[in-house]
Amino acid sequence: MRKVITVSLNGNAFQLDDDAYAALSAYLDEAARALGANPDRAEIVSDLEQAIADKCAGYLNPHKSVITLAEIEKVIEQMGAVDADPAPGAQTSAGSSAGSQPGAAASPRRLYQISEGAIVSGICNGYAAYSGIDVTWIRAIFVLLIFVTGGAALVAYLVLMFIIPYANTSEEHAAAHGLPFNARMLVENAKRHYSKITSSPEWQKEKDSMRNEWRRTRAQWRLERRRARQEWRHYRRYGRPFGGYSAPTPGAAAAATMPPPPAPYLVHVITGSMVALLGLIGAVIGISMCLAIFSLITSGGILGWQWPHDLPLWLGLVAVFIVWNAIAWPLRAARHSIYWHTGGYGAPWHSAFDVIVTVLVLIVVASWSLHHIPQIRDFIHDLPRLWQHDTWSNTTARVIVRACLTVKDLALWLTRQV
Amino acid sequence: MTDEQKFNSIRKGLLEFLVLTIISARTVYVADILKRLSATDFATQEGTLYPLLSKLRREGLVNYEWQESDSGPPRKYYGLTPAGRKHLAELDEYWVGITKTVTDLRS
Repeated sequence: MRKVITVSLNGNAFQLDDDAYAALSAYLDEAARALGANPDRAEIVSDLEQAIADKCAGYLNPHKSVITLAEIEKVIEQMGAVDADPAPGAQTSAGSSAGSQPGAAASPRRLYQISEGAIVSGICNGYAAYSGIDVTWIRAIFVLLIFVTGGAALVAYLVLMFIIPYANTSEEHAAAHGLPFNARMLVENAKRHYSKITSSPEWQKEKDSMRNEWRRTRAQWRLERRRARQEWRHYRRYGRPFGGYSAPTPGAAAAATMPPPPAPYLVHVITGSMVALLGLIGAVIGISMCLAIFSLITSGGILGWQWPHDLPLWLGLVAVFIVWNAIAWPLRAARHSIYWHTGGYGAPWHSAFDVIVTVLVLIVVASWSLHHIPQIRDFIHDLPRLWQHDTWSNTTARVIVRACLTVKDLALWLTRQV
Repeated sequence: MTDEQKFNSIRKGLLEFLVLTIISARTVYVADILKRLSATDFATQEGTLYPLLSKLRREGLVNYEWQESDSGPPRKYYGLTPAGRKHLAELDEYWVGITKTVTDLRS
């Protein structure tokens, strides 16, 4: 049994299946939208409705009184997307018309967060749509990146959550996939949406309620993020936290808004070198973690100690990551507390120093590996070749693939060394 | 721009000319126009034709009148206005000029 919706097409009554109705109303909505400010919009739409009515009538007979989705799709296919801008003349049409032909010109592609089917916020999902690579691959690469970069990818993810806009409207969804936004697309969307709902109501209801729950949670996160952003902006502008928010107890708030007075010069020097030392130790620990992961993957153990065979390897990777965090966290906390006590967190020269130390360590490690590890050298030499005149996403994909190959080579090389 | 896209813009630019030509022979309704074009390289659809006709009517080149049909509701029959005939004559002349130029350049 199906639900039937009765509609009037330019004064002719027709009965449509509910999914056929969704497809048709999507088409007509898109037609009205495409016609925009056309002074004859109402008339054209009623002409179109009449044409649709004539076509629909052909599918009916005394024993069949309802139009199905398949039939309405055929009708829409025959009608064609509504062309809002019929060629005004041969000369001017050449430029403007090419773009409105379905699939004629490349549509603008933008990076969006797509929350439909997202696991956390939709960054990977959005990038998958943007690059045309399957989302599973993107996620796998991202998880790998988290381990390889020692959590920096996670931070990058959080930053991107702030920066990249959400795809909310159908146009934005189309732009996220780089598809031309036309009636066809809307119809497809409507169809997919409806067939999903009709496929299995109970399961769907269950899923919907779970999704709603998750959506609520995510909305809350978003709210928090917006507030944090607001606060950050306020902080930057006025040099003090946003008053209306995050003041659990008046005392704590007052203490937080007033960093301790700047310390004398000697203290600066001592704490400065402490920061440098702590930063160095942190970097060394980070590198050892990378090595530990390498050796765990390639030889199944760390420094001669074998990972038990009856436990899965990924558990070992997670364990290494947790241990690394457990060691690195107090160091980081110490560093941050030093920042705090010498004139407030975010004092420019402290953060600058931190960055310089990190960059120096990176340069040392990079130049060492460039001279002593042939695979890395090859990778670096290959980079300019990969950087051809191409879209940003293609180049990135090529670099990632090349990097993965390098890691594989490195792993083989390391096993041979051991 | 691929060849297909270039042809598309040519097709699109010429569509108005062809529609006016079809209408000039006798008053027609939309399904007639579509049928006449369907066999050609200029096959088009209602979604394109209705906005085009409304634009031509706004420009005063065509007009329509309602006519009863024996199968279904009254239909709009389109015909050329005097201004439309004049415009079509100009387009014709221009077209002959273009084809002549192409032929001349080829020889």
